[in-house]
Amino acid sequence: MEKTPNKLLWHGVLLAILLGVGYSVLLASQSIQYTWRWERVVPYLVNTEPRPVMSPFDGVASISTDGLSVSIESDNSAEPAQVFNEFSQLVVGDGDMIFEGDVVATTNDWRLGPIMNGLVMTLKISIVSLIFAVIIGLFVGLARVSSNPALKYLSLIYVEIVRGTPLLVQIFIFYFFIGTVLGLDRFTAGAAALSIFAAAYVAEIIRSGIQSIPAGQMEAARSLGMNYAQAMIYIVLPQAFKRTLPPMAGQFINLIKDSSLVSVISITDLTKAGREVVSGTFAPFEVWFTVALLYLVLTGSLSWMVKLLEKRLANSD
Amino acid sequence: MIKEYTGDDMIVATGIDKFYPNGCHALKNVSATVHRGEVLVVIGPSGSGKSTFLRTLNQLETISSGAISIDATDMYAKDTDINKLREEVGMVFQGFNLFPHMSVLENVMLAPLKVSKRDRREVEEHARSLLCKVGLESRMTNYPSQLSGGQMQRVAIARALAMKPNIMLFDEPTSALDPEMVGEVLDVMKSLAKEGMTMVVVTHEMGFAREVADRVLFMEEGELLVDDTPTLFFDNPEHPRLAKFLSQVL
Ligand SMILES: Nc1ncnc2c1ncn2[C@@H]1O[C@H](COP(=O)(O)OP(=O)(O)OP(=O)(O)O)[C@@H](O)[C@H]1O
Ligand SMILES: [Mg+2]
Repeated sequence: MEKTPNKLLWHGVLLAILLGVGYSVLLASQSIQYTWRWERVVPYLVNTEPRPVMSPFDGVASISTDGLSVSIESDNSAEPAQVFNEFSQLVVGDGDMIFEGDVVATTNDWRLGPIMNGLVMTLKISIVSLIFAVIIGLFVGLARVSSNPALKYLSLIYVEIVRGTPLLVQIFIFYFFIGTVLGLDRFTAGAAALSIFAAAYVAEIIRSGIQSIPAGQMEAARSLGMNYAQAMIYIVLPQAFKRTLPPMAGQFINLIKDSSLVSVISITDLTKAGREVVSGTFAPFEVWFTVALLYLVLTGSLSWMVKLLEKRLANSD
Repeated sequence: MIKEYTGDDMIVATGIDKFYPNGCHALKNVSATVHRGEVLVVIGPSGSGKSTFLRTLNQLETISSGAISIDATDMYAKDTDINKLREEVGMVFQGFNLFPHMSVLENVMLAPLKVSKRDRREVEEHARSLLCKVGLESRMTNYPSQLSGGQMQRVAIARALAMKPNIMLFDEPTSALDPEMVGEVLDVMKSLAKEGMTMVVVTHEMGFAREVADRVLFMEEGELLVDDTPTLFFDNPEHPRLAKFLSQVL
């Protein structure tokens, strides 16, 4: 009989190793006299700074009796009065003379900082690319297993070219060549490059999924009178889909990480936001750790969702 | 058992040859005719081309030369819709080939719904009655993985029958079964034969051939050597290769 490892002991070892790694990071930063200033990162995540509310023109302020709104009567009588009622701190007094650009009040509402905006952009470009990658990949994958030589070899050439060149180069080609020819904006060019890139991998995953289904399934379906498309849709693809889920999840995670490369064409995604914030905070370690953590949250929740789906599908038979 | 011969030809294969892409000459000038309601059993050593012959009859394999007619329709005529033709020809495989992602009932109902576009209520009623007929009324909601081999093969037969075919092809339907399950599948096939279904059966079950077949074919190395009634085939084999084969297997 095989010896079962001592669970308690090895969990202890695990904890010790993790603590050791953490401690050595601390020592390393001390050895270069780095002082950690995590609080500097916070405003770049969510901006809680009071924001000034400014007057658009010269005029006179009048405050309502309940103090909840202030209106600026313009000196130029042709212009209608401007009423502000969303603020947390009033700066002007009743009857004050106001000049254009003066601060009337301040608000405390939270806004997303640049890093969070970058996260949203990364999420947006990843989701768009993911959807197109799956659609394109499905058709290319089907073309790969087709018996039509034109479809078969065109798809093969596409896959080989995309997988044989660096994504960074593809992004440049899309932005500077295809983007210029077709007049694409940055986002479209970036999302297109990512979709085309990921679709080649998705196609290979779908191809191997289809080929992993025994030929007898297709034969049984055809012998019942189904045409090729019906046999694919009702019999082969549903079974292949389940088998492709794990590699597909890996590919989607790659897509999220690869999306960091679109920062080279000045799309302000999470990575580019990180770079910009570093130069403003002088807290590079904190910023990059934060950025890494945010990527981890994205990829982690994606693989969690796929696991959930897998479990669902496994229950169905 | 008395068969009524109406005389019409359900399957006519004329001089068919089959070369596989690798050059293997699997069928050599094979000709055979199956009349309506007839049961034809094909016997021969492994690799003799029995499966290949059977699979040409619903064009799972295309032929290299020759001609095949199903119910007076030329299979290779320009205006022949092979999918339509296949609806008339049910097939049962050695490995069952049930759809593992569907329940037993769904397996049987899928093709009538999607291919024939028949009414769902009628299809379900028909599917249930077929499953009762093969003795699986209690298994309709199960998935194939929850069935025994014999049960799976009976589902496969019900699935093929759901298309209301005129012809049924069986490729070694009991070869993948444990011995104790062979009988239940053969019984279903026997009752089908009794109902007058036209059948072509590749099998090693000599007892079934002797009892049910109207004619027995012997193939070797792609050639059709013998085409005879079971009595003459088994009791008085004239062809020396058949005599040798029978002496080995019986
Ligand atoms: N897809 C294929 N490609 C190439 N050769 C094939 C293919 N399928 C069968 N063959 C060859 O054709 C010949 C006939 O094969 P077939 O499967 O029809 O024999 P069989 O009589 O059904 O044998 P078994 O009793 O083992 O099932 C064999 O020599 C086999 O190797
Ligand atoms: Mg065979």
